[in-house]
Amino acid sequence: MGSLVADIDGLFLFSPSASVYERFDDIGVTRVVIAAENGVEADAFVELPLGFENVRDRIRFGVEGAMERGFVAEGDVIVCSLSMFGDDADSLVRVRVDESMRSGIYDLFIDSRAEPGVVRDVFEVAIDLGKKGQKGKPVGALFVVGDAGKVMNKSRPLSYNPFEKSHVHVGDPIVNVMLKEFSRLDGAFVVSDSGKIVSAYRYLEPSAEGVDIPKGLGARHMAGGAITRDTNAIAIVLSESDGMVRAFKGGDLILEIDPEEY
Amino acid sequence: MQGGTVRAVLSAVPLRFWLAVATLALGVVLGWMVRIVTGRLLRRAGVPSATEGTTFERTAREFGTSTVAILAVIAGYFIFGIAVFAAIAVAEIEYVAQFWNAVAGFLPQLFLAVVVVIVGVVLGDKVELVVSERFRGVKLPQANVLPLMAKYSVFYLAALIALGQVGVATGALIVLLAAYVFALVFLGGLAFRQLLSAGAVGAYLLLHQPYTIGDEIRVGEIRGIVQEMDLFVTHVEADGEEYVLPNSRVFADGFARVRS
Repeated sequence: MGSLVADIDGLFLFSPSASVYERFDDIGVTRVVIAAENGVEADAFVELPLGFENVRDRIRFGVEGAMERGFVAEGDVIVCSLSMFGDDADSLVRVRVDESMRSGIYDLFIDSRAEPGVVRDVFEVAIDLGKKGQKGKPVGALFVVGDAGKVMNKSRPLSYNPFEKSHVHVGDPIVNVMLKEFSRLDGAFVVSDSGKIVSAYRYLEPSAEGVDIPKGLGARHMAGGAITRDTNAIAIVLSESDGMVRAFKGGDLILEIDPEEY
Repeated sequence: MQGGTVRAVLSAVPLRFWLAVATLALGVVLGWMVRIVTGRLLRRAGVPSATEGTTFERTAREFGTSTVAILAVIAGYFIFGIAVFAAIAVAEIEYVAQFWNAVAGFLPQLFLAVVVVIVGVVLGDKVELVVSERFRGVKLPQANVLPLMAKYSVFYLAALIALGQVGVATGALIVLLAAYVFALVFLGGLAFRQLLSAGAVGAYLLLHQPYTIGDEIRVGEIRGIVQEMDLFVTHVEADGEEYVLPNSRVFADGFARVRS
């Protein structure tokens, strides 16, 4: 048992309570807190934008964030304390930090053109839409977030834009309902860097050359993946057929979330 | 025999004294009612939630009362005080009346002054809370000065009004206030000039949207695609460079929409 925590270089606490955090005050290795907010005033802190239900995603996000901020380096061995079933930390995971851990999840949220809060809000809208569907029926949706000017120039309207001259932002209380109603229409939603919904009903016209997304995903995913290669935007796609939320950046599939788990 | 003495005592007391007692009793009842009605009105107006978290409210809570209760009690005592003077006047107690007349004239002012002080203290605390809430995102130690400044400005105004009410000479303080307001308006106008003009233009641009995100525009020398627009600035991107133009500049230079 002791070998699990022997010779470690870092301890990653996922959403620890203050008492848990203080218990490791004199541990002598880097102590990193990964949580939605820094409630314990930790020096090394990585903000968790979504409470990833998938533990692998959560650890990847934490490790990538810690590497990005220089809390840990390649080759370090760390132990993650996190909760898998309940609310309290119930599992220990020993991880070796290396470059292959970089899946781009942290980069997707933090280093995208759009603000991190906007990316999170769009994810939440997509997850919410995936959970409830539209009037009980599963819906698909495609959100292109950030670099809106270029995206607008690489797309054309399918019909009148319901968001023209409006000033709604994702995260506004009314928006979830609006997006839910508009999601039955075809085409993509375009969201600007600051979260303003620029347009709905956009037909994306990127060049799909060299876009490598898993086979079996449909035209919506292909269009979403391709536009992120042509522009600096990211695409968040809700699949109509399997109900998964997928995020693309730079033409690659970065993250896959099952809305039912949230 | 017994009844005779009581009647004699009763008739010995002059009628106006009975009137005075009745006035006093009426004052007590009215005061009590005013206290209850004021409390209800203040509660209905949402004062308890507005004063939530202010220092005054917390201190009041420590003494087992609340801002609303204190204001209601003061209003009640004010009415009762008036009744007392009315009773004295009715009873025509000469020498007492002479002394108290001056006080009676002073009482409403004192009442107002006390209310102004309480409102000022609560308002100042509230302003401090609101301003510091606004600046919470800004992790800058210097930003702590602003809420304090706002708070003491409100305190100062409240003190000035209260002192004016009770007739203390406040000439010098008013000169100080004038200087302060002038500095605030003048220097503020000077400092925020750019923001104000950009904001005014931004209001027009957002309302009419002569150009929108995705349009290619040219402003002066700069030509590129609009990436973002808000009240104060427009982001224009060209060749990997993102220009952040104040909206006032869009108007000063004029802009051209490039149609391709």
